[in-house]
Amino acid sequence: MKLFGRKEKTTGEILAGGENAIANKEVEGLSQGQIVRRRFFHHRAAVIALVSFASIILFVMTSLDSKVGPIRIPGWWQWTVEDIPELRYEDCPGGTTGCPTISIDPTSDAFGLGTHPFGQDDIGRDYFALVMNGARRSLMIMFVIGAVSGFIGVVVGSISGFYGKKVDAVLMRLVDFIQTVPTIIIAAVIGKAAGKVGPLYLALFLGILGWTGLARLVRAQFLSLREMEFVDAARVAGASNLRITFKHILPNAVGQIIVVITLIMAGAILTETALSYLGFGVVAPDVSLGLLISQYESSFTTRPWLFWWPGFFIISIALCVNFIGDGLRDAFDPRQRRRITKKDREQAKLQVKAGE
Amino acid sequence: MILFGSSFLVYNLAAYASDPLAELRLSTDDGARQQIISLTRSLNLDTPPPIRYFLWLKGVLGIFVGKLNLGVTREGFTVQEELAYAIPVTVRLVLAATVTAVLFGLALGIISALRQYSRFDYGMTFLAFLLYSLPIFWVAVLLKEFMAIQFNNFLSEPNIPIRWMIIFSIFTGVFWSSLFGGERKRFWRVFGGAFATSFVILWAIDLTDWYLTPGLGPILIAFLSVGIAFGVTAISTGLSNAAAKKAALTMAGLAVAWYYPAQWIFNNFVSYFTIFILISMIVLTGLGLSRVYSKIDRRPIARTAIITGILSGFLILADRIMQSWDDYRATDAVNGRPVPTYGQRKDQLVTEDFWLNNLDIIMHLILPTLALILISLAGWIRFTRGALLEVLNQDYIRTARAKGLNERVVVTRHAFRNMMLPLSSLFVGEFVGLIGGAVITERVFGWQGMGTLGIKAINSYDLNLLMGVNLLLSILVISGNLIADLVYSALDPRIRLGK
Amino acid sequence: MTEKNVLQISNFNVDFWVDGVWYPAVIDMNLGLAAGKVTAIVGESGSGKSTTALGLMSLLASNARMAGSVVVKGEEMLNAKSAVLGQFRGKEVAYIFQEPMTALNPLFTIGYQIVETLRNHFDMGPKEAHARALELITMVDIPDPELSINKYPHQLSGGQRQRAMIAQALACDPALLVADEPTTALDVTVQAEILDLMRGLKDKLNSAILLITHDMGVVADMADEILVMKDGITVEKGTADQIFNKPQHPYTQQLLGSVPKLGSTKKRALPYTEDAKPDPVLKLSNVTIEYPKRGRQPAFTAVKNFNLEIYPGEIVGLVGESGSGKTTVGRAAIGLLPIKEGSLEIVGKDISHATQKELFTIRRHTGIVFQDPASSLNPRLPIGESIGEPLFLAGLAKGAELAQKVEELLDQVELPRSYRNRYPHELSGGQRQRVGIARALALTPDLLIADEPTSALDVSVQARFLDLLQELQVKLNFACLFISHDLAVVDILCHRIAVMQNGLLVEVGDRDQILKKPKDDYTKRLISAVPVPDPAEQRIRREARLALKK
Repeated sequence: MKLFGRKEKTTGEILAGGENAIANKEVEGLSQGQIVRRRFFHHRAAVIALVSFASIILFVMTSLDSKVGPIRIPGWWQWTVEDIPELRYEDCPGGTTGCPTISIDPTSDAFGLGTHPFGQDDIGRDYFALVMNGARRSLMIMFVIGAVSGFIGVVVGSISGFYGKKVDAVLMRLVDFIQTVPTIIIAAVIGKAAGKVGPLYLALFLGILGWTGLARLVRAQFLSLREMEFVDAARVAGASNLRITFKHILPNAVGQIIVVITLIMAGAILTETALSYLGFGVVAPDVSLGLLISQYESSFTTRPWLFWWPGFFIISIALCVNFIGDGLRDAFDPRQRRRITKKDREQAKLQVKAGE
Repeated sequence: MILFGSSFLVYNLAAYASDPLAELRLSTDDGARQQIISLTRSLNLDTPPPIRYFLWLKGVLGIFVGKLNLGVTREGFTVQEELAYAIPVTVRLVLAATVTAVLFGLALGIISALRQYSRFDYGMTFLAFLLYSLPIFWVAVLLKEFMAIQFNNFLSEPNIPIRWMIIFSIFTGVFWSSLFGGERKRFWRVFGGAFATSFVILWAIDLTDWYLTPGLGPILIAFLSVGIAFGVTAISTGLSNAAAKKAALTMAGLAVAWYYPAQWIFNNFVSYFTIFILISMIVLTGLGLSRVYSKIDRRPIARTAIITGILSGFLILADRIMQSWDDYRATDAVNGRPVPTYGQRKDQLVTEDFWLNNLDIIMHLILPTLALILISLAGWIRFTRGALLEVLNQDYIRTARAKGLNERVVVTRHAFRNMMLPLSSLFVGEFVGLIGGAVITERVFGWQGMGTLGIKAINSYDLNLLMGVNLLLSILVISGNLIADLVYSALDPRIRLGK
Repeated sequence: MTEKNVLQISNFNVDFWVDGVWYPAVIDMNLGLAAGKVTAIVGESGSGKSTTALGLMSLLASNARMAGSVVVKGEEMLNAKSAVLGQFRGKEVAYIFQEPMTALNPLFTIGYQIVETLRNHFDMGPKEAHARALELITMVDIPDPELSINKYPHQLSGGQRQRAMIAQALACDPALLVADEPTTALDVTVQAEILDLMRGLKDKLNSAILLITHDMGVVADMADEILVMKDGITVEKGTADQIFNKPQHPYTQQLLGSVPKLGSTKKRALPYTEDAKPDPVLKLSNVTIEYPKRGRQPAFTAVKNFNLEIYPGEIVGLVGESGSGKTTVGRAAIGLLPIKEGSLEIVGKDISHATQKELFTIRRHTGIVFQDPASSLNPRLPIGESIGEPLFLAGLAKGAELAQKVEELLDQVELPRSYRNRYPHELSGGQRQRVGIARALALTPDLLIADEPTSALDVSVQARFLDLLQELQVKLNFACLFISHDLAVVDILCHRIAVMQNGLLVEVGDRDQILKKPKDDYTKRLISAVPVPDPAEQRIRREARLALKK
């Protein structure tokens, strides 16, 4: 039953009384993009995450040598993955070899990073180099998966949501189909085959598997935005379907899309490392963080550093991406208005008293 | 229909991507030639994959005539056998994990939403993020190390150092005090209380070497049961409902009174059936008590009494299991290292004792379940919190308050039910998703479940086995979705009854 | 006087905390309400009237702060203990909210929700409560009480839902009933019935009613005393007679002046004569419009056998209640909906089977203004772009020339030129609707379709909007199809009126003829149900309407 008459107010709006007029004062003269950016930077955790993430990427990518086309950019780290320096055994607990040289005790004369701050593996390769290499792989895979899944998801979702009816039905069947294939199994099968060809192909395949959630979301957005009156107005003005999609609908859905893509990316790195752990993802001689963990899990008791460092990087990357995604979500969804805490209430009372 | 499509896809993909005889071909062993021939015959490897698929399909469809034939694995066992063995293993693991994760996630999420923007809320949110970002295999290995190996080491020389007691008590204190919220004074009071209680308990444990011969004992059970009675009443009907309070307390009292008779039953003729009888008795008693204490409004009284009864009964059960702990440790198989890291049960442990068996199973279940729980807990906390917050913003909650209903009823009756709607369909999805995590956990802890089977299949290019696993998983996912849809439409009258 | 009052509010202040600052929503309100009396609080959006209503029983959000005194039956409600509040809420003070679909819990039957209220306040067993609930449902005239008591909210119609809400509110015989825009979401005929119901129950139970509304007609129908609020301040207070006939405060005067009053306009000539009728701008012949089958829902015929002609330069009002099909006609007229049967001609060309290309050229003759200012403009585009889009797509202007034209259009709707670069969220509802007009008139159409353009606007804003529309229509001489449910607005604006019900055209004719001498029964009922903002006149109308019912 159609609702006409006064525009329906949400509880929040009623309860806030004249609050909306006041709140709008905060955003005068700003475009949507600028508002979102502003809100994002208010969110402390997200900003910290963003900064950390950027620094991790920078750190990891530049530490080792990298080849960009014919150019070889040297990294700032002394060891590469192939070097096999001498296996260190002095000062190592319990007769183990290759323990980390990092020391945070300012009194000892070993203070500092030392030659092998992350230690060495079984045969003496520098562990820091290995971890950096693995982190690079994982980051690259993560971005590729994000891009591929993002692209497919948005395209499928928009076509499905925009055109509806038969096209929608067919595409949704496809989504169901892909969702039913148990991802781990297919990923494993593909991984086994593709892993030999290189991690890039693995990433592509995983990307092809991971877009279903995004497609559903985009479809839902399209379905609701399609009914908006400004879309009708554009149609009446003569806008083609393409124009409506790109100029009217997509820009309004972009917020949610970005958030979901960050979630996909966070999940991607966990999936990839899990697959590598099982042996189906990145395989030797390539390095992956998951692979490192699986190789050294039994030596955890004796040489814990082989276990901690890869894990630490996986967790940090995933955590940062998750926080960034959360910050973005809060920035795009203005309904989350912060409520006052007891402390703020007390403060306000003091303010009033001071003003009296 | 989707099943056909996906299984066809997987089959061909796997078939083309792998050559089961690759290893054998490379082998220079004499017997290899022979093996190649026999395997080719049994696995029909000389026919091209698409055709092989239909052969396999024929076998699958045999289920409708009662003759299911999923083919033969490389080693010559039928796929059915292998699956039949593996399914209960995985299901047990995932079910236990999902149920526990849901219960805790729900509780924490609800409290988080009710105390939005409090310290507790932020803490929980951060925790959820952290858990979300953990790779499961890393967690599993970590658990193996600390909870198992270290714990077992610890047990051989049991002694809790004082500083651990203090640290642990601080954590407990912080948790409970942020949960209850409130201003400074209350915060410190709760903190102090929780700290003291936890410290005392830890000290008592250390002093009495409780972990060597654990058990709750009738006194502690009595104490806890009374506490449970109050707690359940507070949530279920509110403490002002005298009838419910009386019924719950009576139930608690009965439970305590039954302690010794229960021991006798447990030691003499226990079985799953007996437990079932006991549970039914609790339910009947609860119903009876509701008749006794109230003439008009029996349902909430019965509900309160029954829940109290079941929880107290559970305490007694747990106590009995704990009593077997010492015996368990002493057996050869365990040999003083009770927390296991491998397998679903100790095969060497041959015993008729119901309790030892179950304790064994439980011990083996703990760590993998814990790993899975940690991972899925995050999702539940966030989702519950989000769903409850959204519900609490709705108009009908305001109407409920305007009607004069107190906050407890508003949340437990109105908000809760509306929140459960989207959550219930999520449950099945999570269960299915957790199976993926189970694959990894099985590998870490050496369980012979479907995950390990699947991995083995992929590694050895065993197509039939792989198809079997895939088929099963696909069925699970599809039926899971179906059930989720059914549950949702059953619970939501708007869909059930339409216009 | 104060002792016997059911409700006594003194020095009531409500502030909201937003990002560090306390913003006042209600300032120094004083109100006394005796049993059996109705006091209305009127105001436009943001005036603080709903905040007052909710603040009475501390139902506001946690970022609200209240000060002053609210005494209900001798007991102080502000900062009272939750036990006391729990006792009074629902029992002595009951609420009726605006939108019953969301205010009732969709997962519980209405019977359950009423029983819940009863058993919360009284020591009743389930059977007894059920019987009482049945009594209440019967009392509010919900059909088939035995069956309805077990129905879920979504299974009832809007009017029935509101009745259910009233039943729930009256369950414990409250001394005070607070009704927050109780009929705003209802059709006008249903609204009349609900108001009758409330009045009857008030007389029977002698409860006091605090009525919150923006509709002066409703106020004239119900209120004994009136409080006018603006921006949280009580601007004027008095009896109904005083406020309507002798308003003192300029705001009250302005408010009453903006309210369209049915039957108050002068005679108006059609811009053509009967014999020399020009070619119609819009011609609908035997049009049937159907919504196709969607999943389990069968195909739905929204409009059937519809005939209408609109001639150049005239404004035709299309009125009807919800579900009448009027919006469907509007959208079909501009080509947004396909027609199943019949023919639709715009300036002589049949568009019922037009291709996209043909539609494109024909659409240049039409423009449309939408109802909801919040969703009629793309939030990501600056206003100027939204207005200029039709020109741009028609290839009529680009770049600097386009900017020039946009500025002209902004002038036309009396908005500053600098607004060209502003975004929709920076504009008020009224301003956004003006932008809507500017956009609709960009191609200087022959036909303007206005789909409930003022339904979401405040009364004073609405008045200015209608003035603007009239001026533009006279200046540019376009024909206009004005779709609305508000007969009073249609009265001011239109030359002719067409009435729709359930997809059928019920009656069409001259404005004066329809409003003063309606032929069809439905039209008569519709007109008699519209409340006028004049207590004396409204009483006469009401009695006439009730006589009509018998």
